[in-house]
Parts: sequence; C-alpha cells; structure tokens
Amino acid sequence: MSIENDKVGEEKLAVTEKLTNGGEIGWDGQSLQSMLAETERLTEETGHYRGLEDLELKEENRFEYERLYSRLRGALVSARETALHVSASPIVREIGELCFQIYTPEGDSIAVSTGIIVHVHTGSLAIKWMIEEDYEHDRGIEPGDVFCNNDNDLGNVHTTDVHTIVPIFHDGELVAWADGVTHEADIGGASQGHTSIVHTSRFEDGIYATCEKIGEGDELYQDWKTRGERSTRTPMYWDLDEKCRLAGCHMIREAVHEIIDDVGAETFKQFTREAVEEGRRTMESRVQERLFPGTYRNSSFVGLPLAEEGWKPEQQKDSLHHLPVEMDINADGTMSLDMEGTSSQGKHSFNAAEGSMTGGLWVSLTQCLLHDGKVNDGSHYALETNFPEGSLTNPDDPQLSFHAPWGTIMPAFQSVWQNVSQAFFSRGFREEVVTGYSETTDTVQGGGTLMESMAQMIPDEVGDYFPVSPFDLSCQGLGASAVRDGLDHGYAMWNPEADMGDVEEWEMVQWGTQYLSRQMKTDSAGHGKYRGGSGWEGVMTVMGTEDCTLYKASIPDVAFSTAGMAGGYPGSTKYAVRAHDTDLADRAREGEPYPTGDTPPGSFEEHIDGDIERTHRGNYFPKEFDNHDVMHFQMGGGPGWGDPLERPLEKVVADVEEEIYSPETVEKVYGVVGEFDEKNRVFEIDQEATDAAREKIRERRAEESVPFEEFFEEERERVQDGDVSDPVAEMYVDAFDISEEFKSEFDEFWDIDRSGF
Amino acid sequence: MVVVSADDDHNRPRLLAMDTGGTMTDTFVVDDEANYTVGKAQTTPDDESVCTTNSFADAVDNWGLDPTDGAGELEGIVYSGTAMLNRLLEREGSGNIGVITNGGMEDQLRFGRGIQSWADRSYAGRLHAREHEHPEPLVPRENIRGVRGRMNMAGLPTLPLYEDEAYDAIHDLLDRGVRVICVCLVYSYLNDNHEQKIKDIAEEVMDERGESVPIWLSSEQKPIRGELPRLNTLVIEAYAAEPSREQLRQVDDGFAELGSESPVRVLTSSGGTVAPEHDWLVDTMLSGPIGGIFGGEFLAEELDIDNLVCSDVGGTSFDVGLITEGHYPTRWDQSLAQFMVNIPMTAMDTIGSGTGSYVRVDRTSERIEVGPDSAGYKVGYSNMDSDVDTVTVTDCTLALGYLNPDSFLGGDIPMDREVAIDAIDDQIASPLDEDPIETARGVLDIVERDMSNELRGLILGLGYSPENYTLMSYGGGGPLHAAGYSRGLEFEDILIPQWAAAFSAFGCACADSAYRYDQSVDEILQPDFSNASSVAYSINDTLETLRKRAETAFDRDGVDPETVEFQPSLRIQYLGMLDDLEVDIGEVWDDEEGIDSEGVEDVIDRYEAKFDQVFQRAAKSPENGYQITMAIGVGVGPSAKPTIPHEELRGETPPEDAHKGTRDIYWDDAWHAADLWQMRDIQPGNRIEGPSVIEAPATTILVPPGYEAPLDENRIYHLQEQ
Repeated sequence: MSIENDKVGEEKLAVTEKLTNGGEIGWDGQSLQSMLAETERLTEETGHYRGLEDLELKEENRFEYERLYSRLRGALVSARETALHVSASPIVREIGELCFQIYTPEGDSIAVSTGIIVHVHTGSLAIKWMIEEDYEHDRGIEPGDVFCNNDNDLGNVHTTDVHTIVPIFHDGELVAWADGVTHEADIGGASQGHTSIVHTSRFEDGIYATCEKIGEGDELYQDWKTRGERSTRTPMYWDLDEKCRLAGCHMIREAVHEIIDDVGAETFKQFTREAVEEGRRTMESRVQERLFPGTYRNSSFVGLPLAEEGWKPEQQKDSLHHLPVEMDINADGTMSLDMEGTSSQGKHSFNAAEGSMTGGLWVSLTQCLLHDGKVNDGSHYALETNFPEGSLTNPDDPQLSFHAPWGTIMPAFQSVWQNVSQAFFSRGFREEVVTGYSETTDTVQGGGTLMESMAQMIPDEVGDYFPVSPFDLSCQGLGASAVRDGLDHGYAMWNPEADMGDVEEWEMVQWGTQYLSRQMKTDSAGHGKYRGGSGWEGVMTVMGTEDCTLYKASIPDVAFSTAGMAGGYPGSTKYAVRAHDTDLADRAREGEPYPTGDTPPGSFEEHIDGDIERTHRGNYFPKEFDNHDVMHFQMGGGPGWGDPLERPLEKVVADVEEEIYSPETVEKVYGVVGEFDEKNRVFEIDQEATDAAREKIRERRAEESVPFEEFFEEERERVQDGDVSDPVAEMYVDAFDISEEFKSEFDEFWDIDRSGF
Repeated sequence: MVVVSADDDHNRPRLLAMDTGGTMTDTFVVDDEANYTVGKAQTTPDDESVCTTNSFADAVDNWGLDPTDGAGELEGIVYSGTAMLNRLLEREGSGNIGVITNGGMEDQLRFGRGIQSWADRSYAGRLHAREHEHPEPLVPRENIRGVRGRMNMAGLPTLPLYEDEAYDAIHDLLDRGVRVICVCLVYSYLNDNHEQKIKDIAEEVMDERGESVPIWLSSEQKPIRGELPRLNTLVIEAYAAEPSREQLRQVDDGFAELGSESPVRVLTSSGGTVAPEHDWLVDTMLSGPIGGIFGGEFLAEELDIDNLVCSDVGGTSFDVGLITEGHYPTRWDQSLAQFMVNIPMTAMDTIGSGTGSYVRVDRTSERIEVGPDSAGYKVGYSNMDSDVDTVTVTDCTLALGYLNPDSFLGGDIPMDREVAIDAIDDQIASPLDEDPIETARGVLDIVERDMSNELRGLILGLGYSPENYTLMSYGGGGPLHAAGYSRGLEFEDILIPQWAAAFSAFGCACADSAYRYDQSVDEILQPDFSNASSVAYSINDTLETLRKRAETAFDRDGVDPETVEFQPSLRIQYLGMLDDLEVDIGEVWDDEEGIDSEGVEDVIDRYEAKFDQVFQRAAKSPENGYQITMAIGVGVGPSAKPTIPHEELRGETPPEDAHKGTRDIYWDDAWHAADLWQMRDIQPGNRIEGPSVIEAPATTILVPPGYEAPLDENRIYHLQEQ
C-alpha cells in the first residue's frame, strides 16, 4: 500500500510539474483530446484501429505479446476476485454483478475481467465523454483521482449500475484507465428496487453521478460519501460496493505499474493498441468462420399495459413498443445492426441509451461468437450500429428515466439472437441456434421496515430498512437450439452465470419476506420439436414488518416479444396473482394448506382466503403488503424450435412426468394422449388416441391453411383499413413519425399509399 | 515399482498412506529412519482390501520385506481414494433415496439454483450459454416430498410444521421403498425443531409399519447456511459416500489380517483423518489431490517456514494451496461433480494447465491455446504407444531436451523427440510461420505464465507478496516447470523434495487424526461490543456442543478424550459483507470457561488485523458491527507423523557415477549442453550447477543455465538463481 501511495505521490508531482509548464497528460506531449481525435481519424481512414495494419509486437514477439495479455487479464480477474470479498450486496457477490475493465487513454477497452461482460463498452463511452468535455484542462484528471458515472446517456446500462473510474499514470502520462462497475440494490429514487418500472423521468431515478470527480489522492470526498449515505435506502451496501470498486481499480493500477516496470512503457503502450486491433480482427474472422453472409431481419414487440397501473397521467396507457432489427453480415466479417423504425423515447423507465444497447450487444455476442473471453473494444470497431436518435434505443433527452432499459434491451436482442441464429443455421451450426429466452423479469422488488421487536437485533447503524430484490430472475428458460431443448430454469441474457441464490441467503438480507415456494411452472416452456427451457414459479409472504411495499415488473407481459423459430412456439407470457388481508395465520394454525404455486392457473385461490387480485397482466406498481399477505411470481420459459408434432413421443412423456407440460397441454399441442399417475409420475400413452389426436391436428391445419397470396391480401386489407388494436395502430403511427424511411418501406411492402392506422 | 531410497537393510515400515484411484492403487511407506518406498497395484473395486494390501506388498518388497512382516510394525495407516467421487461422477451410486423438504421447495434439487448448469465449466464454457446443462438429479422427483411449515432467518417458527403432511410424506416414501430418508428444511441449521419433529414422526410411522430406514437430518450432518448445498451434501452422503463404509471396513480387516494393529484412518478434505465409523463419510469425498498441502504444512513446521506455496503440476492441472502463518484456509462453497456442497475443503486452486494439456492454434485469432482438455495419462503425441493426435505440453518439453525420451516414467512409455518436433512444426509452428523449437518454448512460456499469474493472484489476494513465501514444487511435472513458473516472482526460496513425485501421498501420511465440526451461528455483535457477553455465551454454547461431538467420536475410536486437543475458531465478517474470514481463537479460549466478553473483543482485534492484511486497500467497516457466521471445532487426537530425512552433508561435488552424460537443452533463445544426473545417486550437500537435468523415474528437475540446485540434509533441492 505504501509503495503504491508513494508511486501515486510521485506521479502526482510529475503531472503537476508538467501541467504547470503547459504540458499535456496524453502521450508524447499530446492532449487526450487530440489522441482521441487522431485515433478516430486513423481508424476511420484505414479500417484498422489507429491505422495499425501490422501487429508488430504480436508478429515479431508473439510470446511476449501473449505474456502481456495473460498478465493484464490475470490482473483484472484477480482484482475482481479480491474486490468481491469486500462487497456487501448479495447481488454483487452471489450473482457476480461486478466487472472490471481497462481502457486506453482514449477510452477503448483493452481487456475485461470475468463477471458481467455487458460493460465492455459502457465505460468507454463515459471516458470519451470526459475527454470530449475537456476534463483534462477543466475539471482536471490527475493521479489519485476517482471518477464516478451512472448516467446512461454518458455511458452506462441502467442507472443502478455504478462505475468507479480511475486514471493510471506513468511518467506524467496517462497510460490507461481502470473501471469497476457494480449493480446496486438501491440508488434512492421514487420507488424501491434495482429495476423500477414506476419512474417517468430522471427526477425520480435516484442518485445520478454524471462523470463526476468523487475523490482525489485515492480518497473519496467527504461530501460525496455523505451524499451516498443520505440518498440511498441501503447506505451500507452503497458504501461497501463503492469500496469494492475502488479497491479493485487500485489493484489494476498497481498491476499496470508492475507491468510497465517489467517491460517498459513503450512496449506496454504498443501492446494495448495492438490488443484492440487484434480484437477487431478476431471478431471479423469469427464472423467469417461461423456466420453465413446476408441480410437478416426480425422484430420484437413489448406490450406495456400501464393504463390501470400507471401512477402518473402520462404513463397511464396500454402501449406496444416496436423493436425491429436488421443485420447485415458481410463476407469480409464486418457486421452492421440497424434498428430504424424503433418506437420513440418516452415518459417511462424503459429508455435505453446507446451504451445500454451496445452493452446488450456485447453480452449477446460474447455468449455465441466471442466466448473465449478475449473481447474488447476492437470488436466494437468491427461492427456498425444504428440506434436511431430520439428512439427508445438512443434517446436524446437526458431528462427521461433510464431505470429499466432492460425492458427494451432484452426484447430487442431476442431479434438479434434470432438473426444471428439464422446465420449460424445457414452455415451449418445448428447447435449454436438460440431461439430466444424468457426476459429476466417478474421477480419481487421493493422493501420495508422491520417490526420493532425484530429490529432490536440489528445494529442501529444498519437501520431497520430491508431491500427486497432477489435474483430469482436470473434463472429463466433459455430457448431451444436446432438440435436440442433449451436449458430449464437457468438463464439470464445479461449474465450467463445464472444463480437464483439460496433462500437462506436472500432472507438474511430481505428480512421481512419469506418464500413459501420455488417450484416448476408447468406449461411455461415454448413448444416445438425441441422445446424451450422451462420457467418456474414462487410464492412469497411478508412477516415481521411494519410497512412493506412490493411490486413486480413483467416481460413478456400481455404480448410475446418474439415467436419461436421454424414453427416453434414462444414461451408463456407472465401474469399476476396476489392476496391481501389473508387467512394465512389461521390456516397455519389449523393445518390447512397455503398456496405454493398457481399450477394450474387459478389454484392459488383455492388455498388462501382474502382480497385476491388476479390480472392477466403481470406487472403491478408498488403495493402495500401487510403481514401474511401472499404474492405469486414466475420465471418464464424459452421459445421452441420446429413443429411440435415432430417431437419424439418419449420426450413428450418425459415432459409430462417432469411437470414441464400438463397432460391437457400435450394433448392439445402435441396430440399426445395418455393417463398420468401424478403420485408416481408415470405417464402412459394411449397410442390409438394419440394417432387420432395427431391426425386431427393435421386435418385442422389443412383446413385452416390458405395460399400465401390470399393471406397477404387479407392482411393487406387489415393494414389498409387499420383493422388492428389501438396499441398496435399507435405503435406504427409513432414509428412512422420518427422514421420516414421506415414508413416508406412499410408502405412499399404492403403496396399501399398509406395505412389506416 | 520404484525404490526412492533404500540404504538400510532393516527398514521398519512405520506409516502407510494409500490412494486408490480408478485404475491403480498407490501406496507410500515411510520407515522410522525417514526412508520411503512406493508401491502400485491394480485397483480392485469390488474388494479394496485386495488392491491396498497388494500395493503395500509391492512397496515393502522394495525393502525385501514380506507384507506380513511389514504390517505388524505400522503405527499409522491413512487411506484416501476416489471411489466415492467416481461413484458420483459416473452416476453409479446407490439410489432409492427419499427426500423431505419444505412444502413448495420440492424442486430445489433439480433447479440446482441454476448455478449447477455451469459451475464446473471452463471460462469459455461459462460464457457460452448454449453449453450449459443441469446435472441429472440424484433423487428422482417422485421420491421427494414436501411438508409445509417455515422457520425464519432468526430461527423462529413462523409457520408451524404441518404434521399431517409429514405423516403422509413418510408413508409415501416408505411405500416407494426408499432405503434412507434425507430431511432438509429451510433454516434448520438455526432451529432443528421441525426436522427433529419429522424424525419423531418417521420413527412412529416406522414402528407402526414394522419397518426401519435411517432418517438423516441436514441439521445433524452439516448445520451450515445454504439449503441447496446442505441438501446436496446429505443426498451425496447417501448416494456416494455411505456405500463405501463397508469397503473401508474391508480395507481395515485386510491390514488386520496382515498383522497390523494400527486402525485404518480415512483422510478428509479438511485435513484430518477419521475412522471408517465416522458419522458422515461425505467429509472424505475429496481428499487425495490435496494431500500435498498437508505435507506442505508438515514440512513448513519441521523446517520452520511461515509461509509456503504448495504447487503441484500434474498431467491435467496445476494445483496451488497456500500455507500462511502455518495454516491453510478452508472453504465450503464449492461444487463437486456439478453439485453445490458444503463440505469443508482445504482451499486449493486449480487451473487446467498440466503436462498433458493439449496445445492448439486458434486459426481465427492466430493465437496459441493451451488446454483446458488434456491427454492425461496418454502423455502426448510423441508417446508411441498412444493414439493422441494433438500436441501436448509434454511434447514441447521433450522437444526442448528437458525430458529423456528413453526413460520417461522409468522407460515404461516410449517417447520419440523427432516425432514431437515434427508434430509441433506441423500443428503449431508452421501455421504461425514460426520455428518449432521457439514455438515449443513459447508454449511453455504461456503455460508457465498462466501458472505464475495464478500464484501471483492468490498471494496478492491474501495481502502478501511472493517475497513473503517459499515455493514448494511437486507432482510429476512440478520440478520440471518450477524454474519457469517461478520466474519473475521473487520467492524467498524454491524447494523441490526428492520425493516430489510421491509428495501428495507423503502428505496424506502427515495428516492429523482429527474430527471437525462446523456450525453456522449468525451472531450479530454490536459495533460498541455492548452485547459481547451474550455473544460470548452463545458462542461458548455452540463450541461446547462441537467439542462434545469431537470427543464422542474419539471415544468411539477408543481414544481417551483427555488426550484430545480442542482447536476452536470462528468465522467473522463486518455486518453486511458477505465474505467472512476464519480467526483461530485457541489463544483466548479457556477449556473450562470458553471465551468471555474481553476474549470476544480480542478476537475482533485479530479479525480486523487479518482483514487489513487481506483487503488492505479497502477501508474497514466497523461502524456496522460484526457478524460471527460460523463456529468451528476441531478435536485433534494423538497421531504418528513421518520423519523427514536428516542426513550428513557430503560435499558439493556429486559422485562421478551420478553423472550420466550431457544433452542439449533450449533455454533463453539458445541451446546449452546440460549435464544429466541420476537423482538417486546424488548425495546431500551436492550442488548441481545449471544447465543440468536431474532425472528420476517419476520426475525430472530442470536446472536451467544460471541456476543451481544444492541438495540439503533433508533431501530437498533448493532451486536458486546463481
């Protein structure tokens, strides 16, 4: 520590002296601004990062290059491992919501630690913004400084992701940046929770750090610490997570200093630039190797039924978001992603900044194309994106709320995955196909205060407030591939290292809540020859609290985000059921069963009396929950692949025996008829009845089928007459408004002058 | 069959350590003068008493002894084996297990928290979601029954146990013919009342039905937080561990028949040995590979070394354990064959780089990738007896002249250096347009750099630096790569024991006879210590229970509890943080009184000092108070320990007949003529100057140019830069 302190002290002196003499902190006397401009120019002109047509270090000293790479990445990983111990929140430790990155002076990521890779490019945007805003001359960027950002508009995924950014100096030059990010349980804000759907504007989101300098000399400013302590509901987690990020950044800085001591600054600098260019080339080669060139298109939709739930007048409507994705995969390995026609930004929490969208992109591509983990901003340079300005995916109004952009990112990337899956399939990689996933929603969020008698055991300094934000949601169903079923209850699109955590861990944090169950959700998996992974459901009650508010955000809610592929079905949508003012205590005393699920739907009420609220829509805004109130939540299933009638019978039998599907459902969808002995879990097929049922399904299909021309004409008339529901019509009108290009393409496709929407 | 050292006609075998692997059973025997010998025999899975006694016979045959003569002298026999683990890995355990859990939580086993679908995968495999797959549950869903009722996080019954459901569950499971019923309820580690009630009901039902199957409670086996690992551990006991109990008794009988009076003790993953009668054999599931760490701990004490890094290079992996201030840490939250368990395990970190790791070029990124898969015992491409078609790390070491192709594993495996060079050229060097020899060295650079990164990360993670540690290198490949992976890390010293190849087995023989019991407690200590005395009271209560359990175990083994030393420790964290540190409280613990409130403050001081050490850059957080998460009680009984050699130093020049000629080796971009030495002929005090290669049948020490390796009186080489 003291050695590192001395080092920072020395560096500070060197920088101060340099600045006093009119020097700059960039390389070779340049300012960071001119470095950034030059990098952008050279990259643009040559198609190679900073014009690096040859990777001299890599080619001439291949093993030195490898050593540096493994050492730098090793430093990031070990910073993360060590920092994890310091963190408090279960979100960080149990779920690994912590990631460290190292950037070039211009803000291009060189390497990333393990953890949630979604942040490859987000810190990059924040650093570039600071450079463009001339922080180096105005605010000052000096050794020992600490910066913080969680403003999505400047480079972040959602507001509860908080970045700590530390510059690394050597000999008076800024040689790199270290960045650590954690996902916070709470950042203040109008409603509790880490992904709130309640907010309509920035002013409700909670703490915003806008590329703010929060410390110097390796110490955080007192006013900054006070602000965190007084502005979040969970100051202890805020404080400990911040310590964890800062400790990790300092470890990375120390590692960089050691590497420079060993190999010299010039080699280090050369290495960092080559690593970015190498990332770009690797990405192109992978695309060439695995994806079939072409133009791929798909659209996702998000239904937002807020007419009844919305708090503010402007959010009280049922709407549908349009998220079209067109991707060009080129023979030279470059790619582009275009979301022209996306719905406009709005007064809700689902606005996703460009950084959020690129975060979603990296977390998707690392799972299918770049899973060797050697991803960096080079990959970003191999891919062109168009997230239309003013749209949901690139808002131009920083005053909007950015609390739950995942409500846009996750559905949008269903289309990206399906496009990429088509490209894999066309190349012959059937096993790499991912038909989609259930979005990570529907978990319970909120918080409350512990009852006086219970709170006595908690030290006053910790307070008696408990947050409720379990990561049940990280275990959704994954879609099928083109050769096998999807993964059951184990997938989160933003972090493939899913973990729902033990009940005994979560309740240790969210004191006033108790799980009554976690069990399989029958009939949640999307049907197909290969079915989607199954979801699950849980029931929670509240006990020992003074006041407790809970809510639930759901996607897909009343509409599917996407369909399955090749005839597969989407997973089920989500819904809500809860019971207030219940007889749970009486039941328990009498030994009468309480609800442990809602399978089949409607059975929840059979085991509880009280004010039952059951809605088709899955989301509800924060509601007060009294002790013994009971709520149900569910994780969804992934989409399927192929025609369900092609699913082998023995697999359908296993589906019933494992409670993936009910006997009624397999009869209806798969035409499989049999007798289910529930207690012993044996499903015996009635072959004759099955043959007949399948024949009937085929007959029905034949009867309902029409030639394509006829179908197109019918649909065309509907478009022309505006014969669609209001939210659909409004969605298209909004998309036409924001994009002339989309409108003319739409009209051209349907061969109409204008739609009736 | 190898004689490591035998300069005495009158060897008296004193300690025996054995390891029954899937194919071979190895034994390691030490006599009263620190001579040792090793033996091998084919594993006989149906009756391990056959392979263990055969292997012992093979070992003592090196000393010209008949096993019946040797066995009578033994003072200690330590068994470790992979039978339980293999049973689990290969899903060949005993089924018919019934499970009772909270109503509504019946699916938790197959959910595996989601984490089980990726927990054992490589980094790339973790990212690549398409590869994830849940392990097949050990208990089919129809054998799992739920009983409603709940305890809360303070151990209070918030919903009573639904006893009618418990009766139904027991009847159902008995109807299904289960042979054991495992009961695991949420928060039973804080309050076992509901689990006990289920046991009472089960006994009542069984009495009524005239049946009897064991009822196992998670609160009795491992009262540790985390319901999935707790249930998994109980189920694995029934599935894979308990079925070995009879085997262990047979092994014990086998040695008794040979005339041994020493009972067979089984090595646990936390470092002690237990009798085959131990309540919970799951503690012994994973023990063989970590033996080296116990050997390291023993050597550290003998040689007065505070901080020691134990590094083991095997065919498939590089394993590292740290002994810091005389102790190695223990972990719980690990996975075993994809299942999350709560078995205390000696902390060992592993990376998938071993001597058999495959080397390939990623054509897309034009980069060399090593592992994580491996040729294992097939060694490499240049093994003329194998069908390996991909270059391995061993092929590279052979190409560079470090290995003797004619005496690999005592000459049992025919290796061809030219074949190795051609394969490296063909598969790696040519595609990259590089020279094959430089490529071979480059591959080793990558492998050894990964190893040194691992070492550096682990040591820094504990708040120390390499200068504070002595490195010990063992395993078949350790002595060969030690110079490489220690480069750039300024260790205080680098030790290579002459018995490096058998060091893990030696370590098993060093283990204490010990019973360890853990209990989660979740005691909150206020920041001003205002409740220290009630915390002390509660801790004493828990530790006393743990002590009684340990004493009962020794009593059962016929060991006088008076001779048992009780070693208490606590795991502590700042309230809110989720990672705790283990603090030894032996010094403030009074055998009669336990600890008092002052003792608690003292323990917190130790915790804070340790926290500072480990997390130096992050500020402490005492303002929130502290949480004592776990109490640990270890009873240590008297146990025989091996002696290490203490021999007279014979001068720096090795005897002439130890020199076997020279061979060119490639190091630092040039060829050097290295002296070749026969390890068994080198005498204590001899100094081997680099470039040299010291050859023994099971291992090879590389002493590069600019290095030297004196052999000390304990027959340990010190690898040093000149």
